[in-house]
Amino acid sequence: MITLKNTTKTYEINKNNSVTALDNITINIKEGELVVLKGVSGSGKSTILSLIAALTKPTIGEVIVNEKRVSKLPDNFASDYRQQDIGFIFQKYNLIPTLSVQDNILLPLVPTNPDEVEAKAKLDRVMEQFNIAHKKDTMVRSLSGGEQQRVAIARAHINDPKIIIADEPTANLDEKLSLDFIEILRGLKDSGKTIVVATHDPLFFNLDIVDRVIEVQGGKIL
Amino acid sequence: MKNNLNLYLIEFAINALLRAKSKNIFILVVFTLLTALLTAVFLITGSIKHELQSTVDALPQITVQKIKAGRHYDIDTSVADEILTIAGVSEAVPRVWGYYYFENAGVNFSVVGIEQYEAQYKDSFAKLVEKFDFEELSSQSSMVVGRGVKEVMSSSYYKEYFNFIKPDGSLKKVTVAGVFDGDTELESNDMILMSKEDVREIFDMQEGKATDIVVKVPNPEEVTTVASKIKLMYPDTRVISSTDLKISYQNIFDYKSGVFLALFVVALFTFFMIIYDKASGLSSEEKREIGILKAIGWRVDDILKEKFYESFILSFLAYLFGILSAFGFVYLLQAPLLREIFVGYSQLKTSFELPFVFEIQTLFLVFFLSVPIYIAATIIPSWRAATLEVDEVIR
Amino acid sequence: MILAPEVLAILILNSIFLLFSLVAFVLSVRIFIKWDMSATTQEQYGLEKQSFLAATIIKYIFAIKLPLFLFFVFTLDKISTLLTGAMCGAGVVDATDYGSYLLILKLMNLYLFGFWLTLHYLDIKSPNLPYTRLKFEFFIVAFLFLLVEIVLEGVMFGSIDIDKMVSCCGTLYSSSSTSAISGIFSIDTTVMLTLFYGNFLFMVIFYMMRYQYLFAISNLAFIVVALISLIQFFGTYIYELPTHHCPFCFLQSDYYFVGYLIYSLLFLGTFYGMRVGVVKMLDEDRGKGFKLSMIFNGVYVVLVTAYPIFYFIRNGVWL
Repeated sequence: MITLKNTTKTYEINKNNSVTALDNITINIKEGELVVLKGVSGSGKSTILSLIAALTKPTIGEVIVNEKRVSKLPDNFASDYRQQDIGFIFQKYNLIPTLSVQDNILLPLVPTNPDEVEAKAKLDRVMEQFNIAHKKDTMVRSLSGGEQQRVAIARAHINDPKIIIADEPTANLDEKLSLDFIEILRGLKDSGKTIVVATHDPLFFNLDIVDRVIEVQGGKIL
Repeated sequence: MKNNLNLYLIEFAINALLRAKSKNIFILVVFTLLTALLTAVFLITGSIKHELQSTVDALPQITVQKIKAGRHYDIDTSVADEILTIAGVSEAVPRVWGYYYFENAGVNFSVVGIEQYEAQYKDSFAKLVEKFDFEELSSQSSMVVGRGVKEVMSSSYYKEYFNFIKPDGSLKKVTVAGVFDGDTELESNDMILMSKEDVREIFDMQEGKATDIVVKVPNPEEVTTVASKIKLMYPDTRVISSTDLKISYQNIFDYKSGVFLALFVVALFTFFMIIYDKASGLSSEEKREIGILKAIGWRVDDILKEKFYESFILSFLAYLFGILSAFGFVYLLQAPLLREIFVGYSQLKTSFELPFVFEIQTLFLVFFLSVPIYIAATIIPSWRAATLEVDEVIR
Repeated sequence: MILAPEVLAILILNSIFLLFSLVAFVLSVRIFIKWDMSATTQEQYGLEKQSFLAATIIKYIFAIKLPLFLFFVFTLDKISTLLTGAMCGAGVVDATDYGSYLLILKLMNLYLFGFWLTLHYLDIKSPNLPYTRLKFEFFIVAFLFLLVEIVLEGVMFGSIDIDKMVSCCGTLYSSSSTSAISGIFSIDTTVMLTLFYGNFLFMVIFYMMRYQYLFAISNLAFIVVALISLIQFFGTYIYELPTHHCPFCFLQSDYYFVGYLIYSLLFLGTFYGMRVGVVKMLDEDRGKGFKLSMIFNGVYVVLVTAYPIFYFIRNGVWL
């Protein structure tokens, strides 16, 4: 399902300096797997997520998702791919604070100029699923952390993507909310999604639903 | 066919505009002012042109002036009789008139001589002749003055009469017999009418001489031919036809608004830079927002489109407000300050009402000078924003 | 030199076009030289981003140029009142040596930019971006034409002499005159009309058979034939004057600005028609191109045909 082949990523800081974030790594993730990338911040696990989501392109090597070479997709096609195949959950939720809950959840659909009925059906489905429907007209900035998290998950799900990517999803949550999140993950895994979580939260390392823990350090896999 | 207008995107764009409220209000206000100024200038020149054109229409088709040593010189009245013999000419009238500078008030009066039993070259004069007897006025040394002239004289305490200073320094006292309103205000405002004899005396002109001769040609097609015949008969004259005048008026005002526009370019350029600067200076919040949008699947083109909607909405609003306020400024408030630039002449000349003239071309003209320029200024900043490295801004 | 505000507005926009197209040109050259889809270098990624800027600029210029062209024609019409002798835009075009070239060039550039957009549209539809190099190569050429147009326009407005007497359309477009335009009057009207309707008939046949190349060629021919027949024959019925052949006067309000409609239809019809033949397209797009072209050209033919027919119905004679 997801393959990173001999992938290296270097960031150019300026002409003479560059930082190697990933150094010749290879990862294979099968369909329906839940994989946890473990590592301290700066270890390169976020870069792996970015590569899978085609948010950035590898310096050497390639990234193949669903038999598609996403590392070679032009910008617009990378966006389409993200729109259809990837649900991204960020550490800081990355919602637009001055938009309402439903406007935030609808954002991925906006460029496609969706049919109103269809959009509403999708919206209602995910708001129901992640238990946020009662707040649909509330401004996101006045929500609690847990609610914002659920809005972010709902937004990631509006197109029912096959792959869920989460970057430090529990970093801003207390333990109870973290456990809630894990329950949500369980539901997603049961519905057959492929899930990649980058985290250093020990809560994830011994979970029954986690198929594999990959440890990343200094841009290499241990 | 699917509706191509993406209302969701437009709604998002409007929301985005509202989010950066203070910045956008600032741009809106400045841009509205600029378009209003521009539109006002075009409206004023349009109005004045219209007013002048109707003055020209009321003028005789041909005016003949004698030129001596390159200067305008008095012409023999006998020339008028000669011109009358040309086929196609229905009237040829010698005019006696001039400008009198009233030093106290610092204004010019147009002093025009009228003879009671002569064909009048202007309809408004014909009406006046019915009202006042200029033979009689002549015997009493009195005159009829325009409304504006009356006001100026009154403010210098000349209520019943006025003392003209003749070229030799002696005074001529002329009493005010009445006040008249002309066809157009521009024309009548500074005008003084009296008998030709009196005018000749004030300007020290010889008997049998006139300032110029106006010729009436009933068939407009023949004006050019008649004009060239007069030119042949009197090589020492300048023959001006009303068509020529119209073109030169048009030119003068095109030129005036052109010069204004040329100056305006500077303002436009400055504004261009301000927009460029404002649009380039993305806050980290805005950068993150674009990062989020790209991360959840917006294309570069979608973001460019959204930015385009933003700038189009903003600039089009400014355009509309600008047009509306210019109309209010020019026609309701009579364009204080601004119209002085375009009217020129003395203070007196300016106190006329701007007639309402609406030409749709002005709307297009102002459109092309505002909206595309604003959008142009946002192209590069929008592109910069749309192609931000997502990876770097969302963490 | 004419300092009418309309002229200045055009010149101001031209300088913006110049500035931006220069940027697009530099980017185009760079992309044309260095584009390599298979590279994973920072440079290639940079080029991909720059291609968005170039494309946006070109789209912008085209979007403004299209209405500006109508404004240009309108401006010619307006400043014709300033020139002694001129009664419509024809006199202004004729007032300098550059007028007619400028007009042709402007029209051609509209077609060029339109084709560029077609190419661009096809390019970004495929993940390999197969036409990126081609489209920027194409723009390098189009840029040169644009440059000539902008310079020529400046020179033309600069060299119009207000005091000089110019010809009016009556003499420019009369059969007795010796100008190049009047050469077309030597063609017999019957031959002309046969060509016009014959050309249209072929277009319809190629449309039904879906011969894309022949269809495009028939559209190219149609531009020429339609313009000549418009000046020589149909125009006279719009004016209801057998001797008035001017292709500008019917842009004026006296004829309800019908000229703008006539030219827009002709432009759109032939543009979509020629587009069909230019590049490989997805079937769906080509079908749409065929259809749009047929609709616009069809309406054009109906419109210009209506003038003589109605004239005949009302007066019982031909001009």
